[in-house]
Amino acid sequence: MEELDGEPTVTLIPGVNSQKKQMCFDWGPGEMLVCETSFNKKEKSDMMPGCPFIHIIRKNEDVYSQILRKLFNESHGIFVGLQRIEEELTGKSRKAQLVRVSKNYRSVIRACLEEMHQLAIAGKDPASDRQFSIQVSSLSAMELIWNLCEILFIEVAPAGPLLLHLLDWVQLHVCEVDSLSADVLGSENPSKHERFWNLPGNTQTLTELELKWQHWHEGCERHLQDGTFASSPHLESLCKIMLGDEAALLEQKELLSNWYHFLVTRLLYSHPTVKPMDLHFYAQSSLDLFLGGESSPEPLDNILMAAFEFDIHQVIKECSIALSNWWFVAHLTDLLDHCKLLQSHNLYFGSNMREFLLLEYASGLFAHHSLWQLGVDYFDYCPELGRVSLELHIERIPLSTEQKALKVLRVCEQRQMTEQVRSICKILAMKAVRNNRLGSALSWSIRAKDAAFATLVSDRFLRDYCERGCFSDLDLIDNLGPAMMLSDRLTFLGKYREFHRLYGEKRFVDAASLLLSLMTSQIAPRTFWMTLLTDALPLLEQKQVIFSAEQTYELMRCLEDLTSGRPVRGEPDAQQLQDDDVETTKVEMLRLALARNLARSIVKEGSLEGS
Amino acid sequence: MGEMVSVINTVDTSHEDMIHDAQMDYYGTRLATCSSDRSVKIFDVRNGGQILIADLRGHEGPVWQVAWAHPMYGNVLASCSYDRKVIIWKEENGTWEKTHEHTGHDSSVNSVCWAPHDYGLILACGSSDGAISLLTYSGLGQWEVKKINSAHTIGCNAVSWAPAVVPGSLIDQPSGQKPNYIKKFASGGCDNLIKLWKEEEDGQWKEEQKLEAHSDWVRDVAWAPSIGLPTSTIASCSQDGRVFIWTCDDASGNAWSPKLLHKFNDVVWHVSWSITANILAVSGGDNKVTLWKESVDGQWVCISDVNKGQGSVSTSVTEGQQNEQ
Repeated sequence: MEELDGEPTVTLIPGVNSQKKQMCFDWGPGEMLVCETSFNKKEKSDMMPGCPFIHIIRKNEDVYSQILRKLFNESHGIFVGLQRIEEELTGKSRKAQLVRVSKNYRSVIRACLEEMHQLAIAGKDPASDRQFSIQVSSLSAMELIWNLCEILFIEVAPAGPLLLHLLDWVQLHVCEVDSLSADVLGSENPSKHERFWNLPGNTQTLTELELKWQHWHEGCERHLQDGTFASSPHLESLCKIMLGDEAALLEQKELLSNWYHFLVTRLLYSHPTVKPMDLHFYAQSSLDLFLGGESSPEPLDNILMAAFEFDIHQVIKECSIALSNWWFVAHLTDLLDHCKLLQSHNLYFGSNMREFLLLEYASGLFAHHSLWQLGVDYFDYCPELGRVSLELHIERIPLSTEQKALKVLRVCEQRQMTEQVRSICKILAMKAVRNNRLGSALSWSIRAKDAAFATLVSDRFLRDYCERGCFSDLDLIDNLGPAMMLSDRLTFLGKYREFHRLYGEKRFVDAASLLLSLMTSQIAPRTFWMTLLTDALPLLEQKQVIFSAEQTYELMRCLEDLTSGRPVRGEPDAQQLQDDDVETTKVEMLRLALARNLARSIVKEGSLEGS
Repeated sequence: MGEMVSVINTVDTSHEDMIHDAQMDYYGTRLATCSSDRSVKIFDVRNGGQILIADLRGHEGPVWQVAWAHPMYGNVLASCSYDRKVIIWKEENGTWEKTHEHTGHDSSVNSVCWAPHDYGLILACGSSDGAISLLTYSGLGQWEVKKINSAHTIGCNAVSWAPAVVPGSLIDQPSGQKPNYIKKFASGGCDNLIKLWKEEEDGQWKEEQKLEAHSDWVRDVAWAPSIGLPTSTIASCSQDGRVFIWTCDDASGNAWSPKLLHKFNDVVWHVSWSITANILAVSGGDNKVTLWKESVDGQWVCISDVNKGQGSVSTSVTEGQQNEQ
């Protein structure tokens, strides 16, 4: 664990000062907390007052940029599309399709670049202008690098077309080519270009082209040596340039924006049929000549050089260091992986580099309140650790609204993440109970398949009913369906409501049977029996006889059971029942009603039998 | 990525004395802090703001640590203090109140840690009296206590739970039945040891393992969150300046091997794993917090030269007068 690759970056936290204090820290889900402290636990701290500030720090994620958000959104579409067509990518068209994907990514970068550029020159305020300008350079570099990678690694242009692609590349990215340089460095030869290559349907072989070029080149040389241009230093210099004379080219250095411009120009005039594998020789010498020992290569230069050397790993490594976000390396590496260009290296995190980078990128997206949805798809396409990473991240998304909670749940349910579903539903159910939204709490506990909680919520419903005489959230309870079976208490709640419905529909006999069965089947908690018996009263006092004799005996037995003085933990004492006046009156009324009903039902049944 | 970080919010807690701990809740929306001024404070820190939600008084000495329970239990916070007490606070109807006080220790309680939510609402507490107590919420405001006496001679400085391991038969458990989790936690003490504890079938806690490598008091232990790999990982730090990473191949569950992360020049007080376990934060007596990414160059992925043993990258977050990025 001792190897360090480069010096660690030091971040200074303002205000945490002084020699005696230390820094206390801890992780939040997406950030870190630091504050001043003294770890040495003493009862009496130093007399010096402590610093009351806690700093919340976070990595500079680009996730928070408005414009980059478009980049993230659109590239997400391309990424997912690429993963999906993977199986279909076969044979000759494979390369063409991959190139198309690459160009799609690049066009997204360019669109973003354009927008950012507009903002940078809009002149709002110097600080944000500067910020935008930095972003513009960054995006511009990304496009430059990606484009080169496309040419060298994906398009895999062979000698001949290779130079043309490189020419396009340079022309696309060199913004400051003024007309003079165009004259000297490029436009003298376009006609010659067109004649030699790039015509659609050009059927000349490489050898033929080389011969022609060779012929032309020798012609130029002869002119130079014969002194044809001796009278005009300008023309002479022009001729030298066209012969690829490095010194002559370098004399026009200020017209060449950078060394790769120099490289391509040089190749154009001296080695137009350069082979890919020879590129790096010319690249290195171009870089050296251009810099001329006056300055050292910048990170961008190193990246491009690595590309010319076809060292893909080095390109990715350097990009990871130089760029401030994972977006670029994650998407490029994924594409290159589809091109089958990466050897798999075993890592602790992720079975290969592609997955590692995608995981980093996706994790960053979860810091954002809506971009996390994009992150889900990236995790999906990481076969080794994607799922478990998703599980860890998705639970930490603050469920600020019901809509958001539903979105999160849908993601979990689609992926059979039952633990997470359970956990999230429980959190929501608890929150609902605390806010007295019992219906919501109940549906969350049903969704979580949490029997214990369903019981708890049902009890609350019943308690509410006892206090207020009516049910809330009738719709929910009426339509429980098979979910009713989740817990006994819930079943009771559903059935009890059904009793009320039957009563409301005047289906008294059915209601009566149901009521009785609730007690005899032990589904009703004993604490509720008094209420149930009281509910029976109106049925007992109807003109028609509803409860049969048998049923009346049952009811009487239940009542006696309740009042017989057998104390059960947690239930109202039978003694309490007797002592309470209201309760006593109720019991008396019930006894009377039951006795009367018994008499009537016996008579009724006796009569029926008779006739 | 250059690990560029910046301060996105600074919360003025107005604590009147040294702050000893600050913890974000599960979602990063609330911040709990505790101090030598004997108070525990809670702030709402959404969207870069800082609103004081509660100023909780009840401790009679410096408060050393706070810990948030899982949100499914509502808003519940535990705190432990020099006053030998552990207090559990709960938000009820929009106000925070003390919901339970545990006074079973004979000296300062140094560390509290909530168990994985799958086990229920269980709090482990480590104390300078050498004992570890486990408080389990059993419903209706009742908490059951189990105590491990003399867990560490001289004192226990830190406790940390193992992530919940889902037993294979968990799929399609009939509802209402609690699955049989194997509950484990780690503790670090003044006997220079790290001990691993396991709950037996009879509900008693037994010492399962002793991890010996430190030559001085163990100041902190942190069990890494599970990231789906079959290995378990624990970080420990000590008065001896060393930080070890202990790993165990879960197949056997018994063979723990330490790897020295680094030897610092001073006491190392605190180690903490990031939520997705990629990064270990380590404090120093030298006013720094260093971040370590195990085995992989955090700036880079998979070049073979970093594969010599394990590579790591560290970034330092240091105190200072100026804010430089």
